[in-house]
Amino acid sequence: MTNMRRTLAGPLGAVVLLVVLMSLAMIVAGTSPLDGFSALFYGALGGRSQIGETLVATSALLFPALGIALAFRGGLFNIGAEGQLLIGALFAGAVGAQLHVAGPLGIALLLVLGAIGGGLWGAIAGWMKARFNANEIIATLMLNFVAAYVSLALVSGPLKGPLATGAETAWLDQAYWLPTLLPGTRLSIGILLALAVAVVLWWLFSRTIFGFELRAAGDAPEAARRAGIDIGRITWLSLALSGAISGVGGATIVTGELHRFNTQLSPGYGFTAIAVALVGDLQPLWICLAAFGFGILEAGGLAMQASAQVPKDAIHVIEGLIILVLAARRYVAARAETTAV
Amino acid sequence: MPEPALVLRGIRKAYPGVVAVDDAHLELYPGEIHALVGENGAGKSTLSAIAYGETRADAGTVRASGTVGLVHQHFELVGRLRVWENVLLGREPRRGWRIDEAAARSRVLAVAERNGLAIDPNAFVETLPIGVQQRVELLRELDREPAVLLLDEPTAALAPAEIASFFATVQGLAARGAAIMIVTHKLQEVIAYATRVSVMRHGRIVAQMETAATSVDEIARAMVGGELPSVAARAATQPTPCLSVRALRAGSGETSVEDIALDVRAGEIVGIAGVEGNGQTTLADAIAGMIPYDGTISFANEGAQIGVIPQDRHREALVMPWSIVENVMLGRQHRPELRRGATLDRAHARADAQRIQERFDVRAATLDVPVRTLSGGNQQKIVVGRALIDDPNVVLAYNPTRGIDVGAAALVQSRLMQARNDGAAVLLISFELDEILALADRIAVMYRGRIVGEFERTNVDRGAIGRLMAGLS
Repeated sequence: MTNMRRTLAGPLGAVVLLVVLMSLAMIVAGTSPLDGFSALFYGALGGRSQIGETLVATSALLFPALGIALAFRGGLFNIGAEGQLLIGALFAGAVGAQLHVAGPLGIALLLVLGAIGGGLWGAIAGWMKARFNANEIIATLMLNFVAAYVSLALVSGPLKGPLATGAETAWLDQAYWLPTLLPGTRLSIGILLALAVAVVLWWLFSRTIFGFELRAAGDAPEAARRAGIDIGRITWLSLALSGAISGVGGATIVTGELHRFNTQLSPGYGFTAIAVALVGDLQPLWICLAAFGFGILEAGGLAMQASAQVPKDAIHVIEGLIILVLAARRYVAARAETTAV
Repeated sequence: MPEPALVLRGIRKAYPGVVAVDDAHLELYPGEIHALVGENGAGKSTLSAIAYGETRADAGTVRASGTVGLVHQHFELVGRLRVWENVLLGREPRRGWRIDEAAARSRVLAVAERNGLAIDPNAFVETLPIGVQQRVELLRELDREPAVLLLDEPTAALAPAEIASFFATVQGLAARGAAIMIVTHKLQEVIAYATRVSVMRHGRIVAQMETAATSVDEIARAMVGGELPSVAARAATQPTPCLSVRALRAGSGETSVEDIALDVRAGEIVGIAGVEGNGQTTLADAIAGMIPYDGTISFANEGAQIGVIPQDRHREALVMPWSIVENVMLGRQHRPELRRGATLDRAHARADAQRIQERFDVRAATLDVPVRTLSGGNQQKIVVGRALIDDPNVVLAYNPTRGIDVGAAALVQSRLMQARNDGAAVLLISFELDEILALADRIAVMYRGRIVGEFERTNVDRGAIGRLMAGLS
């Protein structure tokens, strides 16, 4: 196969395969693919409020996806973005409910607290790995449960808002809400912050010494060690930074959309974001596009459930299929390469 | 003339972007030892894989008069199984649904005896020395009574004494009528043991000679298609103290080193001779600061720079998916001239990469191609170029020419010699005694983690070195 054909056949083939698989999923769910797809796209992009919801989901996915990409590039499989996001949101929500600082400074403070919360959560796993060589996949995954139950315990008791009915903090003062970006929707300027983080990450990976050492540790750990790179430092630092980015994401959900912390604030963004990061090939700028694509699926999926009677779970089936198609593509590419040698 | 045991006719095999083998003809006769030589990427391995039936040719015919056996360069043994289990893996004699162990053992012993190979069928393979492991690998093929036996770099890991006994076995096989083909880089062995030699270049067989009527030089010229680059001359230097190792103890188990005292002076090359696995890796890692050690390793001048050429370029030296430019920065990323604040000066790195490309004749389409796509020789030139580019005080070179073609090897050796001439202290660890004899001013022999002998260049005794390497005194 020529190079030209291979580069074209790859992504194109993946998209075609994906559409076929999605159609099958819709047929199994009892809807014609035509109705399903039109409901999906109308629900995601059919008007101002739909686009707003799609971008809200995009933003919520983009932060953890970028955090995950940072860890993955360093060779660390951080499966704990969900917990890191939640702790970041908890820090912001808990302090935000009590805060008495002038507006913009207060918002900045809450976002920084989000970064600290998520960063601490990531650093715990990083420290366990660097110090005891604990497997980071297990450590980050298990810390998700710790985060979920710790936050539930806290907002059911000491941090519970005085008027709250469920496990929630008190409302944030309106002074600490992130400004709305698209009037008439829930979309806050948090998404601009996410895009800025993407640009910073691109710069970090491609230009800085730290990014260079991080990539070396991820792509060839033994060569990196012999090049004088302190792998232990890279390990805890990259997991801390990774968690911090997810934590800021959690804080933007609190200050941007929900305006208080609630244990249900993430429908698994931190897990879906793993797929987003992989679809984006761990490249910050491609991840922005991938997050938008998954944002369409997340927001459109709800509409599809309402109007075309396709259960929203079908969307999660599709997200799973995307990972499978992707893995298959990589496998085929890797095989083509080894047989060529 | 007898019927050939193996006939390859018009063999062609293309992979995306390269023609690995192009219209190759080869006939192997019973009783001959035929050497197949050529630079890396000339198509030797592909051709032997086609002869063995592992790879399908795009065109051409393969005809063998009997079974074809292949012994790989990297042994394919199961360390935790016994010798007989490895030899008969997949062909175990059965009694009902169980393996007939008694029959298996006696069968292995019979094959070993017939071929004059001493072996304990019950030994666990992982406990055996390399030379004996190779015997196991050989027995596995001999059990199938091959009419044709292909050997890929069979002596790469053997000590001189083991090499001689290995070829005695091979000559016995040939005498009993097997056709033998040896793929090798070692031209001295070709002249000493083979009867005929075929030279491959760019996928074609470009020359075929009787070894009795040719020479190492003639074969080497056929391999590179012209004159060989000569190694730079040894200049007169005034060696001054530089690197000093005293009472060094490091590592554990088989590969530990003990009681090492070694001086490498500026302006000289000290060669460490020895068979693989006698502590060389531990010594190199200790000097490179990669592992903890007892004793002292000291440098004459404060803040001495050390340029390291690690032994495994794929794993320890290069990041395979990265570009040449990025690999040239690796390990140098904190050098003042390469950094601007928190960022890297890529323009400077590119200029460095260009300098290495020119000095080492690195053949690559651009400096931005992944090093994964380069040949082994070009990859190694980048590793050596990077180690030397900052004019280090000490150069630690571990098998700097292993597995690369003669042209690239001569260039690498020349640059090491020039570094020495310019006043670097070069420690050369190599499993190729010829390389050490060609380059070193002084030679130390390592055996079981100790230095068991030292020679000056002026009074080298090749036989004595070989005996020390094998643990004889």
